[in-house]
Amino acid sequence: MKKLLLALVLGLCSAALAQSPTDSSFSHIYVSVEGGEQYPFGDLVDAVENSFYGGFGFRYTYTENIDGFVLMDYSYIKPIPRGLKIYGAHQVSGKLGLDFKWKAIAPLAIGAGFVCDWVRGDYDDDKIDETSFNKDLGGTLTDNETEFGWFARVNLPLIRRETYRVGFNALWKELWTLPKRSEMLSMGVYFERRIW
Amino acid sequence: MQSCWKKILLLGVFAGVPAAASINAEMEGMEVDSRDDGTFLVGGPTYFFDRMLGAGGVHSESELWSPEKLRYRLLFNRFSVLPSWDPMEPSVWLKTGNELGDMIYQDFITSKNRPDNRTPILEGGFRSPSFKGFWATARMFQDDHFSSKTRSVRHKKVDDEFSLFGENYPMFSSGYAGLGFTNASVNASALVGEEYLWLFGESSRWIPVHYKPRVETRVDVANLSATVVYEDAEYQDKREKERGNRKEWNGSVRYRCGKACHSSVFGVAAGLAFRAVSDSGTVYTELEGNRVAWPFIELNVRPVKRVKAEAVFGMNDDDWLVQDSIEYQAPTPDRMGAVIGVKNISGTRLNPLADDVEFFDGSEIALSAAGQMNLIQSYVSFADSIQFAGIGGRVSLWAEHGAETFDTTETVRDEDLVYRKGDVARINSWIKGVTGELWIGAWYREMFSFKALGGFEHLEGAEDEIEVTPAEFFVSFSADWLLFKSFRISHSLRYRSDAEWNLRSSDPLMVKGDWFWDATFEQMFPKQRLYLAGTLLHVLGNESIETPNGSRNRMRFVCTVRKMF
Repeated sequence: MKKLLLALVLGLCSAALAQSPTDSSFSHIYVSVEGGEQYPFGDLVDAVENSFYGGFGFRYTYTENIDGFVLMDYSYIKPIPRGLKIYGAHQVSGKLGLDFKWKAIAPLAIGAGFVCDWVRGDYDDDKIDETSFNKDLGGTLTDNETEFGWFARVNLPLIRRETYRVGFNALWKELWTLPKRSEMLSMGVYFERRIW
Repeated sequence: MQSCWKKILLLGVFAGVPAAASINAEMEGMEVDSRDDGTFLVGGPTYFFDRMLGAGGVHSESELWSPEKLRYRLLFNRFSVLPSWDPMEPSVWLKTGNELGDMIYQDFITSKNRPDNRTPILEGGFRSPSFKGFWATARMFQDDHFSSKTRSVRHKKVDDEFSLFGENYPMFSSGYAGLGFTNASVNASALVGEEYLWLFGESSRWIPVHYKPRVETRVDVANLSATVVYEDAEYQDKREKERGNRKEWNGSVRYRCGKACHSSVFGVAAGLAFRAVSDSGTVYTELEGNRVAWPFIELNVRPVKRVKAEAVFGMNDDDWLVQDSIEYQAPTPDRMGAVIGVKNISGTRLNPLADDVEFFDGSEIALSAAGQMNLIQSYVSFADSIQFAGIGGRVSLWAEHGAETFDTTETVRDEDLVYRKGDVARINSWIKGVTGELWIGAWYREMFSFKALGGFEHLEGAEDEIEVTPAEFFVSFSADWLLFKSFRISHSLRYRSDAEWNLRSSDPLMVKGDWFWDATFEQMFPKQRLYLAGTLLHVLGNESIETPNGSRNRMRFVCTVRKMF
């Protein structure tokens, strides 16, 4: 496994170092829609239920073998503990990353980047006192909360045509929350259209 | 890059330790947070202690006036880049970030030991391309980091959220818009805006100031620079039912020594800085006579090629300050450099433009002391380089008499915060120090550069009378990568030893030594002039309090997108 990882890293580095970005940057641009489901990991399996997500994406060529992308998706996440005054939470997740298209595993692409999640609780204003509720479970989500983190993903195009493609994304993210980090896996299908 | 590095190394011979890795600061003026080549202790965006290990003396760099700081902001008695009203390059930009550690979904399962709320940073702005030399700009920026620990005390002093955006009571919140004109010989701008600031007094309390409006105009014509600022500042303390207003005009004019002047045997430059205030109601400081003017002259003399002498001298009715140095550049082979120098700072006050009195809790705190300080430092620097590596070092001996300090007579508690009474005073004995720094660098074309730094300092003298006993040593390892000519990774791993605040509480505040790691990842599109950057700050280190009445220095992430025109 270590050898495989080492080979992967060296391969990505050698591919990266060989490129000249100025020739390829934005030579192609794609937009996409994506939908799927996300699953909590670690401690989070006791905190939130699985949830569906939907969003859109923007991908651009960065170098010959590296694409950049921006993803934005929405999901409504329900807490597992019962009896909370918060029914659920609206989550908007933004991601900025790079996909490495290593020839040895083509058409699979491996990507990584940073994620920023904005979250706000869903609750009845008239049923809680926001000042004191801040100390109860879910209470901080009565205000806008954001947290950053990082992610890694695999991107597998299943149908590839000149102007569009359909594919599968599996993305693992870690938010830098406290008292512990929050991890989630999302799996979804996308449809992507080439703009130029 | 090779020649660039050689220049940096040789520059280090003349200016001190070469610059650290290119970590993006969370905002201009906050670069100190990624430095450990000395003692850099951050209490918030508007207050920090910054002292390079080899600087000599016991003062913080931001306490000392110099002509280079004429366009810095005067925050109480310190000069600060932040909040910077320097117009940006033509571009449009957006910045956001956060202190890491909000609970988000952990909130559903965390009933005990719930972490404090983390706070963000926000900025957006533009400067248009120039149209026949004319351009427009606007910027809103505020830094909510470092705000949570003191929030409970600060929010009781003011009657609203005290910011342009949000409810975190940020240490500053600023917005401006304006017009400018730039051509080959003229650079002029006029900006107007609103600003909320929390100043840190010698009493150690946070003082809210609301500028509405603040107006700043600048003109640069050839070697002449002029600045005029108007500030209508509101002061308040809701708990004490106090309100006050200060209308202030300040600015400067400076004739710089140009290229021809610098290359001649004798060069002269000069300028004038000024402040004039009109106070009404309760304002927490006083500028005696309501005005101060500070004329100064800059001299450089190069009698022979290898000897350079520089001096800055300023004087008015109350104070005088001289900063001078003389350096001898020893004959060496091309790739080497060696300098022997002596530096001196003498004067009645480090910052002659600051207010004279602070009013606190029914008492007066004198912000200047009788007598004068004298600092003398001798140093030797060297650097050498081969094709892909370099090495350099600097040793110095210094001695200071009459160093500015604070004579604490009483402390006052306010919830978690501790304030002090007393006066700015002097240490009327010699404090001596010896410093040593060594750096090693390596590089490969444009792709990679690495630098390792280390330094130590030993002080002798009345250490318990010094505001901050500085760190005794540091080590730092930093590297910059430029992959496929457009993806930049800059990072640094550093250790700073213990430092100690001696005079702002009855028991000294020890700031424990720690390791820190900062990193910037930047996707660059040179052809499109587009830049996407993410920066991790204060990773690894404990989230400790680095200044009295400051907030915890937490791990932060800041991302920026900028499109240059």
